[in-house]
Amino acid sequence: MQHLGKAIGKNLLLFLAAMFILSFVVFALARLAPGDPLQSFYGDALEQMTASEQAAARARLGLDQGLVVQYVQWFLHALHGDFGISLKYKMPALQVIAPLLGNTLLLGLIAYILVFVFATLLAVFCALHEEDLLDRLICKICTVAYYIPSFWLGIVLILIFSIQLGWLPSSGAYDVGKANDLFNRIQHLVLPLIVMLSSHLWYYAYMIRNKLLDELRKDYVLLAKSKGLTRRQIVWRHCLRNVAPTIVSIMAISIPHITGGTVIVEAVFSYPGIGNLAVESAKYHDYNLLMLSVLITGALVFLGSFAAQAINEQIDPRMKGNGVIKW
Amino acid sequence: MVNDSFRLVGSEYRIHQPQPKKQSLRQRLKGLPLLSMTIFLFIVLGCIFAGQLANHDPTDFYLQNLNEAPGKEFFFGTDSLGRDIYSMIWYGGRISLTIGLLGTAIIAVIGILWGCISGTASERVDSIMMRITEICGSIPSLLFVLILSAAFQANDILSLSIVIGVTGWFGLARIVRSEVRQIRNSEYVLYARCCNGSFLHVTIQHLIPNFLSPVMFALVSSIGSCITLESSLSFLGLGLPISSISWGSMLSLANRALLSNTWWVIVFPGLFLVVTLMCLTNIGSFFRKSANRKPSNL
Repeated sequence: MQHLGKAIGKNLLLFLAAMFILSFVVFALARLAPGDPLQSFYGDALEQMTASEQAAARARLGLDQGLVVQYVQWFLHALHGDFGISLKYKMPALQVIAPLLGNTLLLGLIAYILVFVFATLLAVFCALHEEDLLDRLICKICTVAYYIPSFWLGIVLILIFSIQLGWLPSSGAYDVGKANDLFNRIQHLVLPLIVMLSSHLWYYAYMIRNKLLDELRKDYVLLAKSKGLTRRQIVWRHCLRNVAPTIVSIMAISIPHITGGTVIVEAVFSYPGIGNLAVESAKYHDYNLLMLSVLITGALVFLGSFAAQAINEQIDPRMKGNGVIKW
Repeated sequence: MVNDSFRLVGSEYRIHQPQPKKQSLRQRLKGLPLLSMTIFLFIVLGCIFAGQLANHDPTDFYLQNLNEAPGKEFFFGTDSLGRDIYSMIWYGGRISLTIGLLGTAIIAVIGILWGCISGTASERVDSIMMRITEICGSIPSLLFVLILSAAFQANDILSLSIVIGVTGWFGLARIVRSEVRQIRNSEYVLYARCCNGSFLHVTIQHLIPNFLSPVMFALVSSIGSCITLESSLSFLGLGLPISSISWGSMLSLANRALLSNTWWVIVFPGLFLVVTLMCLTNIGSFFRKSANRKPSNL
């Protein structure tokens, strides 16, 4: 129990350190960037202001101080949940992001679960049919699908299914006034999920497949076979269980990739989520919003990695302690 | 008479010299990803000789021929600005491939240097350096690129490649580091260091040649990922502007093309992109050691 508390404490410390570094880097980049924040805050009204009015506005917004002072101020405000005002929406950044967080989590989580369920199924199927025609065919098709850039696949799918056939909607998370209509939501999720699946599925399925193939060469498989178990039983009951820690580790590594994938998919399908917002605010140099969306995504990624590591230690005691790269 | 009972053995003795059998061309080419190499070469040559292949000026707006379907005059049609897609593809490929190569060069320099330093350094320095790559690598690279490209207004080839390169070397550094760890205690490295070989000398003379082939796969596939990243960024409107033609910036017109239902604007640049990426992957996986497995127990 003491060990667990210590591990959690250490991980929490690392998490805070990582968030601190991330926020400082993002803050510094945003502040060092060319472009006057005053310009984007006041827009055209800036030209009608006198020099002294501009200086006063600068002082009021805290723009006249050094980088570190600005960061400390921002940090203290952030502790109270105040992440500054979105320069484009003229609203607190947190208020802009909060309603979109659910949408992104929905898309990301469903994609995440689907990717790994299908990856495991596909890997088991390919391992059972190793080097068959079917296995090789699946390998080829999936490799091709993996290397198609996801934004292009998204556009092509919109072209085919939304415009030519008119089956599925091409953008948004729900139609106007149908926010609580489950069917409508699912309809809007189908195309984004297909893109997410095709661009991530094979990468992980291939890793799991290779790990399974290594596992099939072990001696206990021979024993299980001589006991009279069928091939399926051996793979599902014995091999898959031994591969499980690897799958969990892969799931931990995959979080940044899948989160990055949602950014592009959200932008292609104009899905109202954090990724789309990050792209928009990068375009409009709306740094407060960009910082907050990057921070939230970063926090999700870090939390996910820690969770995966903790789960891994639970299901496989061998992973505990020495030899493992921990952070 | 004497020779009848006493015969010399091996009087025609010759030193046996195994003739080096000349391998036929076919044998030497065996295992190479020929089809991919041919197609890739074709695309690269097409981009180099874009001036000869193109039948229109890629920057010209043919205002009478907006959104024209593929035909005799415009092989792949024209986009919503009236530009000839066929000519643009060859010229755009130049920029896309350049960014791929430049980005990979930056990745290679930073990644190999970082990996070599980290692999040869003391335990403490090594763990700090690897922590840094882990933390940076766990942030989605796209977000990194978004911040950088928004902050530095990366809208020309060089700055875009730098942004892509600076955010893409973490994986390579880790591979290089683990390779260096394996060879850093071998005798020839020890000998070179005894002979007062500097870090750079040991790296260039001994380390790099020894881990080049395992790293080759990562390098070739990073050309592909740089091209993908560039085209994604340009598509999102954060990379190259529409006026400088690359496959990605051509696709940034895709939203307009969707409205006017002009499929050729979307399909042709995308196809070239996908085919190039796949050829690069095939060539890259040639460098990867094939897993030599014993027969399955199942």
